[in-house]
Amino acid sequence: MRAYITQIRTNLRLTMRDRTMLFFNYMFPLVFFFIFGFMMHAEQGGAIVGIVNMVLVIGILGGGFFGAGMRTVMDREANILRRFKVAPITAGPILVSQMVVGLVHFIPVTVLVLVLAHFVYGMPPLEHPGSLFVFVLIGVLAFRAMGGIIGAVANSMQESQIIIQLLYFPMLFLGGATFPIAIMPNWLQIVAQFIPTTYLTTGITSILEGHETIWNNLAPAGALLLTAAVGTFLALKLFRWEKEEKMRTSAKLWLIAVLAPFIAMGAWQAYSKDNLVKGKMLAREMSRTRTLLIRDARLFLGDGNVIEQGAVLIKDGKIAEIYTGAAPDAKTVKAEALDAAGKTLMPGLIDVHVHLGSPGGFYGSGDEYEVPAKAFPRELAAYLYSGVTAVKSVGDGLDEVLKAREAEASGEKLGAELFVVGPLFTAPGGHGTEYSKNIPEIARGNFDAQFLRLPKTPDEAKTMVAELAKRHVDGIKTILEAGSPAYPFVRMDPALVKAIAEEAHKFKLPVVCHTGNSRDVEDAVNAGVDGIEHGSMTDVIPEALFARMKQAGITFDPTLDVVEAFTMLAQGKFDMLDRTLVQQVGPKKLLDSTRKFLQSPDGEKMRAGLAKYPVSMAICNQNLLAAMRAGVTLVTGTDAGNPTIFHGPGVHRELQLWIEAGIPASVALQAATFNGAQLLRASDRMGLIKKGYQANLLLVDGNPLKDISVTERISMVMLKGERIDRSDLFDQH
Amino acid sequence: MEQAIEVKNLQKSYGDVHAVRGIDFEVAPGEVFGLLGPNGAGKTTTVEILEGLRPRSAGDVKVLGRDPGIEVKALKDRIGVCLQSTNLPDKITVREALALFQSFYSRSTDIDTLIDRLQLSEKRHAYYQTLSGGQKQRVALALALVNDPQLVFLDEPTTGLDPQVRLEIHSLISELRDAKRTILITTHYIEEAERLCDRVAIVDQGKIIALGTPREIQARTLGTSRVEIHTAQPMPADVPNFEEAEKFTMSEDRKVLNVYSARPARTLPDLVKWIDQNGIDLEDIHLKRPTLEDVFIELTGKRLRD
Repeated sequence: MRAYITQIRTNLRLTMRDRTMLFFNYMFPLVFFFIFGFMMHAEQGGAIVGIVNMVLVIGILGGGFFGAGMRTVMDREANILRRFKVAPITAGPILVSQMVVGLVHFIPVTVLVLVLAHFVYGMPPLEHPGSLFVFVLIGVLAFRAMGGIIGAVANSMQESQIIIQLLYFPMLFLGGATFPIAIMPNWLQIVAQFIPTTYLTTGITSILEGHETIWNNLAPAGALLLTAAVGTFLALKLFRWEKEEKMRTSAKLWLIAVLAPFIAMGAWQAYSKDNLVKGKMLAREMSRTRTLLIRDARLFLGDGNVIEQGAVLIKDGKIAEIYTGAAPDAKTVKAEALDAAGKTLMPGLIDVHVHLGSPGGFYGSGDEYEVPAKAFPRELAAYLYSGVTAVKSVGDGLDEVLKAREAEASGEKLGAELFVVGPLFTAPGGHGTEYSKNIPEIARGNFDAQFLRLPKTPDEAKTMVAELAKRHVDGIKTILEAGSPAYPFVRMDPALVKAIAEEAHKFKLPVVCHTGNSRDVEDAVNAGVDGIEHGSMTDVIPEALFARMKQAGITFDPTLDVVEAFTMLAQGKFDMLDRTLVQQVGPKKLLDSTRKFLQSPDGEKMRAGLAKYPVSMAICNQNLLAAMRAGVTLVTGTDAGNPTIFHGPGVHRELQLWIEAGIPASVALQAATFNGAQLLRASDRMGLIKKGYQANLLLVDGNPLKDISVTERISMVMLKGERIDRSDLFDQH
Repeated sequence: MEQAIEVKNLQKSYGDVHAVRGIDFEVAPGEVFGLLGPNGAGKTTTVEILEGLRPRSAGDVKVLGRDPGIEVKALKDRIGVCLQSTNLPDKITVREALALFQSFYSRSTDIDTLIDRLQLSEKRHAYYQTLSGGQKQRVALALALVNDPQLVFLDEPTTGLDPQVRLEIHSLISELRDAKRTILITTHYIEEAERLCDRVAIVDQGKIIALGTPREIQARTLGTSRVEIHTAQPMPADVPNFEEAEKFTMSEDRKVLNVYSARPARTLPDLVKWIDQNGIDLEDIHLKRPTLEDVFIELTGKRLRD
């Protein structure tokens, strides 16, 4: 014991006298810290966590490989270890003192870097400092143990340098410390999962970003600890005191034993991809913390108010400040400036009525349709591309749509924020049940379970609602429609709708109701729903009913898009395929095959069927205007997923149709922003340009209040503070 | 009384290379014993086996009553070792180094006294890298003494040092001898062995070829003195048998002649007469008593240092 203590004390003194060591341990990380902080504008957010992680990883790697590994070889080559060999000690005190000294010297570096990151670059204070220190220390031990093995197996300085370079560079560059793994090609991302620094980076970053502790990182911490233990044990066993005792070349294979935990982790990750996904989420998180000042823009605040010249400061994913008139100096608010003169900034658009389960077009054959796991994220990306930052799926397979919501919410996938209702409540033989007719019988049961709820009694309906509430759906969707003579549907008993609404309200879930005509609307209003979808496409809704809706705070979503699409298709018009945003979000293959299908005999048949469906744009327009006059809260839904209503740009067309119907632009834009957020029960965090709100923003070229088509001239989309690289959006799929 | 070191038929092979081929010797407590031989003779291998640093291939070895192949740690704790060409970290001070090594042993001695005894007082707080060669070697000796050992191994303690420093080290070793410590020295310096050792074993090619006190070894050989003459002109090749001479060697240019004789006083006049007769100018003449070097040359046909 005395030997250990004296050895540690002596080594500490020696390292304090070693200028090279002091430089590499203390100065080197700080040099990196400031160079990268300066280059990456760390004061503007978005980078500091990455820089702190990089500096710590570089320090840990350097300490392990050069501090422990090369040092041992140097001491052996200089015949220093030989002197220790004659004393009655094992390699224990030598290796242990190296580790302890490495740890002791790394603590000030960690503290220093964290303190500087906070005071110089505004990194938020650590939520879990204990976790970070424990994890960093485990990292130091693991990499020092690897260094120990290198020290043991390298026969000369030259050999140790070769081994160190072979390990150092991949660990530095592929482990996510310097370049985020999320930006690497897929195969390289898999390779990265075999590299210990990947786990070091994931652990440090996730703890730095604040939501995680050491307990969320047990697997990487465990692998690092195992490496530390195996490495230390082997380093002791393989320790050599004299340069004359050479190691067999095959001894270098012991290195693999030390890296074994990570080979296992990599193999597991290549299969599960958990860590890969986590890496993406962490990178996303980081890019959402940039500080941006959008200045000299017209601000449409979402509630109808407009600031003709103003600026918005975005920080840590939120709207931090709104300025009227000239903006402050970007430097004083530590922000990157974005000049937006002549542009209009508004809250991100909201589409409250979509069906992710169908693509909005037709593929040539059934097997070309993508599975939901691929299709849904791509569709959500298409919305985001189009400046739509939130969408509500009102009728889709429950499990898949919950998965898509989770992938977006976690940051794994980048797309519009998804709100879900899961299955439709309807009657057996009612609207909604017709979709499974095209599905092979064997799969129909599962489809119906995911897609439909067919309650027979109010109690059953309530149970179904309660079960959905347990799955954390964002709302409930019911159907009240008898169809048309050509397409008769069994209409659900309004008493069931009432039961559904009552139960849903216990869980604070909004209930929307698909209606076919004014009778449906009246029954739905009587049943106590929160939103009317479609209203009536066939008859006029009485003003008194709208007045009741206004009084009860029931929203109205006319879904003019689907009215227009059905009308155009019935008339054989396909120019909706040529709209610029539709062309941009594609996919091209879908557009091409849709055009082909519509002109094919099958397409003819489909269109002939639609023609029998008695929809009238004139009536819909009349209802919309009446609703506005009555003061009903209007919201925009597109019913995307229906033929030729492609996911993404529908709201822009919806807005244009509203203007054509005679709705003022300001009213329409408020419907597509703040009102939508209200229906989503998220108006406390989105739908407005307001201090503290989520920075979900759309910047367009021009003034949409004068020319609504301007909303399609997208200059920038921002989601949760991240400036979306729109051209890259579809590459993630 | 138990011997400090007992070695019987010690052998060590590295693959096909037989570094030690059956060595026997004993070292008594308080004795200074020398292993003398050229580089590669097997001296260092032998002592490293005794120090517990290497396993042996065959033979029986007891050091302080212990088998160094088994009770390594206990043995290391009780002996002092000064290895060839070891180093310490550049920035360690003399005192720190001694304190560090002292912490490894169960017995200890007062470090400051040790520093004074080894005349390192002024360098007590100097970094190792600032020390001269002789000072470094004194530190190495000090390190061998931090555990107050009864048995000290000194492996080539003066190799590479200049003559002045070598004398200093010799006097330190003499002090150790006066303090009744058992010392095993390996060296290839004849004078060192002659000056310091009570007994010497001459080692060559892994074997002891002579063993005894320096005087005994000298006596056991022919005991001849050597007359060495240098001439200006080459001497005739047909050297006669001088009186009492036993053999001679002639340099290639025939200007140096070595004649070995048990009674040089008789041989010398005869030799000078022969030079005169041949009309050759005598340039120099030495008379040398036999040394261990001569013994070594006589036994092996080669010099200790090439």
